[in-house]
Amino acid sequence: MSDSAASPSKAGILDWFGLRWFFRFLSSSIGQKFVMAITGLLLCGFLVVHLEGNLLLFVSAEKYNAYAHFLHSQEELLMVAETGLFVLFLAHLYLAFATAWGNAKARVDQYAVKQTKQAKGLWAASPSTWMFASGSVVLGFVILHLIDMKFQARPDIVYLDEHAPNAPYANALAVLSNPISRVVYTIGVIVLGFHLSHGFASAFQSLGLNHPKYTPLIKWISRLFAFAIAAGFASLPILVPSLSR
Amino acid sequence: MSHTGSKILNLNLQIWRQAGPDQPGALKAYQLSGISTDMSFLEMLDILNEQLIAKGEEPVAFDHDCREGICGTCGVMINGQAHGPDNATTTCQLHMRRFNDGDTIVIEPWRAKAFPVVRDLVVNRSAFDRIIQSGGYVSVNTGGAPDANAIPVAGHKQQEAMAAAACIGCGACVASCKNASAMLFVSAKVSHLASLPQGQTERSKRVVSMVATMDKEQFGNCTNTGECEAACPAGIKLTNIAQLNREYMKAVLFSGE
Repeated sequence: MSDSAASPSKAGILDWFGLRWFFRFLSSSIGQKFVMAITGLLLCGFLVVHLEGNLLLFVSAEKYNAYAHFLHSQEELLMVAETGLFVLFLAHLYLAFATAWGNAKARVDQYAVKQTKQAKGLWAASPSTWMFASGSVVLGFVILHLIDMKFQARPDIVYLDEHAPNAPYANALAVLSNPISRVVYTIGVIVLGFHLSHGFASAFQSLGLNHPKYTPLIKWISRLFAFAIAAGFASLPILVPSLSR
Repeated sequence: MSHTGSKILNLNLQIWRQAGPDQPGALKAYQLSGISTDMSFLEMLDILNEQLIAKGEEPVAFDHDCREGICGTCGVMINGQAHGPDNATTTCQLHMRRFNDGDTIVIEPWRAKAFPVVRDLVVNRSAFDRIIQSGGYVSVNTGGAPDANAIPVAGHKQQEAMAAAACIGCGACVASCKNASAMLFVSAKVSHLASLPQGQTERSKRVVSMVATMDKEQFGNCTNTGECEAACPAGIKLTNIAQLNREYMKAVLFSGE
C-alpha cells in the first residue's frame, strides 16, 4: 500500500522518537500547505505588532525611542523572539520553494492557450496566481530592510551611534527620508499587501476552515487586513519624512 | 434536424496532434466548413474525422463515451478552458452555438505530468484510478439491502455526500489548475465517503492513503486559486478541499494512520 512509503528496515532517529508519522506529514502536500498556513498566519501576527511599534513614529520621538529601548532592554527575550521569527520565515520560505518546485514538475508541457473560467473583475491581477512572485519581492524587501535597520549597513545613510538616546528615532527617520528607501519601501509594502490579500484567506482554507457561515467574512477580512497592513506601512515612507521638517 | 435559428459555421481549428506518448506533438491547423450550430462539439470533431478519413489521413483521437455528460470520459482544453467556455458543462454537452462563424478554436489535451498523452487529445488518467484503488472505496460487508431509513443519515450530510459524489473523474480540475493539482478530485471522493455512515470504518486510512498516492503520482499542490472549481463540469466545491485538509489532519493527529 502506498501509505507505507516509510520502509520499516531503515530505523533511524525518527523511529527512536516515534516521529515517522510526523515526517510523513511534513513531506505530504497537505502537511506542507498546513505548515505554510500556520507560519503565514504567525508572520501576519508579527506584522501587526511591528506596525503598531512603527506607528509610534507619528506619536512622538520619545514614545518611539522608549519603545525601541524597551525592546532592547531585554536582550535574551529579543533574541528568542528574533530566532522564532527567523525560523518561521525560513520555514515559510523553504515550503514556498519546495511546493513551487513540485508544482513546476507537475506540468512540464504548457498549454498554447490558457484562460480562466473565474469571474475575476477587479481582482484581475489575481494575487493567488502570483504568490511565489510576490513572495520573492517581499523577501528581497525584507533583506534590504534588515540591512537598513537591523544591521545599519547602508553606505549612503549616516547612522547615529546606537547608544545615543535619540538613535532609534533619528535612524528610522534617516532611512525613511532617503529617496531610494521611500520608493523601495512603498513598493515593498504594496506587494506585501497583494501577497496577504490571498495569503491570509487562503491559510484558513489550507487549515480546513471553509464554511459558507464564515468564509465570505474571512475573505473580506483578508482584503481589509491586506489593505490596512499595506496602507499602514506605506504611510511611513510617505509621511514620516515630513515630520523632520 | 436543423430548426429555424440554427446557423452554419466555418471554423479554423488548431488541434494538438501527437502520434504516441513518446512522439513529439504540435498544433495542426484544419479548415472546417458547414458546421451546424445545433451540433455538439464532439459531433463537430466527428465531421472533421470523417473528412480526414475520406482523405486518407489519420483521424484525431479523442476520448468520449456516454456523450450525455455523466461518464467523465470526454474532456479537452478548448481555447485554454477545460471543457470549453460553458460552466458546469462537459465537452460532449458543449454545443457549436457557443461559437461564431470564422472562429479559431484551439483544442489541446489535458496537460499534466500525471496525465501523459496517449495520442492526440487522449491522455492516460490511470493515476486517478490508482488514487481510488488506494482507498476510494468502502470494503465493509454491507449485507443485503437495508430497509429504507434503517441507517440514519442527516439531511444535510446526505446532500453533501451527493454533491461530492457528483464528481465524474474527468480530470478538468487537474487540467485547469496552474499546479496540475488533483486536490478537487481527491477531496470529492474523500468528502463523499466521510459524510456517510458506511464510510466511517476506513475513514482515516482512506484519506492518508489517497493523499499519499496523489503525491506519489506527482500531482501539484493546492494554491487555493479556485480554477478547479470554476472548471468542474460537476459543480464540485472548494469546501470539499477544506474538508480533505481537515480529514487529513484529523487522521494524522488522532488516528493510528
